Amino acid sequence: MIRTEEMLLNVGPQHPSTHGVFRLVVKIDGEIITEATPVIGYLHRGTEKLAENLQYTQIIPYTDRMDYLSAMTNNYVICHAVETMMGIQVPERADFLRVMAMELGRIASHLVAWGTYILDLGATSPFIYAFRDREMIINMLNELSGARLTFNYMRVGGVKWDAPEGWVDGVREFVPYLREQLKGYHNLVSGNEIFLDRVKGVGVYSKEDAINYSLSGPNLRSTGVKWDLRKDEPYSIYDRFDFNIVTRDEGDCLARYHVRLEEIEESLKILEQACEQFPAEGEIMAKVPKIIKAPKGEAFVRIESPRGEIGCYISSDGKKEPYRLKFRRPSFYNLQILPKLLVGENIANLIAILGAVDIVLGEVDG
Amino acid sequence: MLGFTKGLKYTLKQLTKEKVTYNYPDEPLPLPDRFRGIQKFYPEKCIVCNQCMNICPTECINLTGKKHPDPTKKGKIIDTYDINFEICILCDLCTEVCPTEAIVMTNNFELASYSRDMLFKNLEWLDENDENVRQVNKP
Repeated sequence: MIRTEEMLLNVGPQHPSTHGVFRLVVKIDGEIITEATPVIGYLHRGTEKLAENLQYTQIIPYTDRMDYLSAMTNNYVICHAVETMMGIQVPERADFLRVMAMELGRIASHLVAWGTYILDLGATSPFIYAFRDREMIINMLNELSGARLTFNYMRVGGVKWDAPEGWVDGVREFVPYLREQLKGYHNLVSGNEIFLDRVKGVGVYSKEDAINYSLSGPNLRSTGVKWDLRKDEPYSIYDRFDFNIVTRDEGDCLARYHVRLEEIEESLKILEQACEQFPAEGEIMAKVPKIIKAPKGEAFVRIESPRGEIGCYISSDGKKEPYRLKFRRPSFYNLQILPKLLVGENIANLIAILGAVDIVLGEVDG
Repeated sequence: MLGFTKGLKYTLKQLTKEKVTYNYPDEPLPLPDRFRGIQKFYPEKCIVCNQCMNICPTECINLTGKKHPDPTKKGKIIDTYDINFEICILCDLCTEVCPTEAIVMTNNFELASYSRDMLFKNLEWLDENDENVRQVNKP
């Protein structure tokens, strides 16, 4: 009989499939993982501590750098928290611009998740197609905000810029284009036999596990839990749009893949309706004092980011800086289930499972 | 085998599609007017109100003013103005608070250099950075 020896294997911190600087120490027996320990903190910048010495407007560029694949939702959560504390009513036009920017960001983020996941599994070309279409979104957001990733677009009480001329029409034309492309994506990957063999029934967890581990976003919905804050606790103007919550019951990597792709379709629905209902004119900033001081007290808000529930807790003592700021960063929580999923798996499935969780290290480390 | 064939068909279809890559750096990237690139500074417009220095989230702007050389005029004029591009995140807040639009963004973004010291830009350099300046600065 062959005797095998346990071996320690370091994956990362510099490893292309960890999507950033993430280290995973795995103990393997032959090819089977017996223990996995994620080591995080390589990208820790202390956003929450830095924010204690910054004015609210100054914190917004820092939030861009947490989940850098969908910076608009991060912009929104901090503005939403301060607006809730101060009781500011955001103008309708600004709300529409925010929702459209956030949904474009969600699509861009899911396209990266899709492309890089297939890349992790060994296919190169889908990644290029995903980035081709994402580039169009990035260009649109660049026209709107003046940056490609770190938008710094939202302000407490509204948005910085109004939509440039023809921008809404550009979004309207983009919706049918991407719908067509999505069909191509399914043709290219969803039915591919090798891909299905790699992801079907891999990394399965139950509904109870998902809830116990505080998972959110596609990771939660892939187990059949119908929970989306855009529907269940509508913020901004999401209650005006007709869209569905995408769920799957299997709870495996393939389910998470399908949830993400279908969420793109739902986001396109929202964009289509937002373009139709977009107000012809209106203010983009509410009346806010020049120096923003949140009243004494505390507030916690949560919204649905592409990766799950992103929350923002502010404790203020009435000064222009927060006394304490805390972000509930969905990637960090979603990552916690990884050691449980990896035990007993083949080493080749490690990347397939990690990729399906879809973490962004800027957000994990904060 | 059907899945493979479908995928291959999609890939082959792409061969006839138009190219989407840019010929950078031979051709400059098309960028919108709002793009946030390296700042252009107009010393004659600056009233030394210090707002840009105070709003900067990374504290990368340093400036000093001096008395107006013309004794009949009140106020200060700018003496030195430095931006440290090692830590500047081009967040646009300095141009947003400037009451006289003395500092505006440009479309220039190439900052790579051989030493860190070269990322420390002074008043003269920022004044000379006058290409592709943003046209509409305030929303």
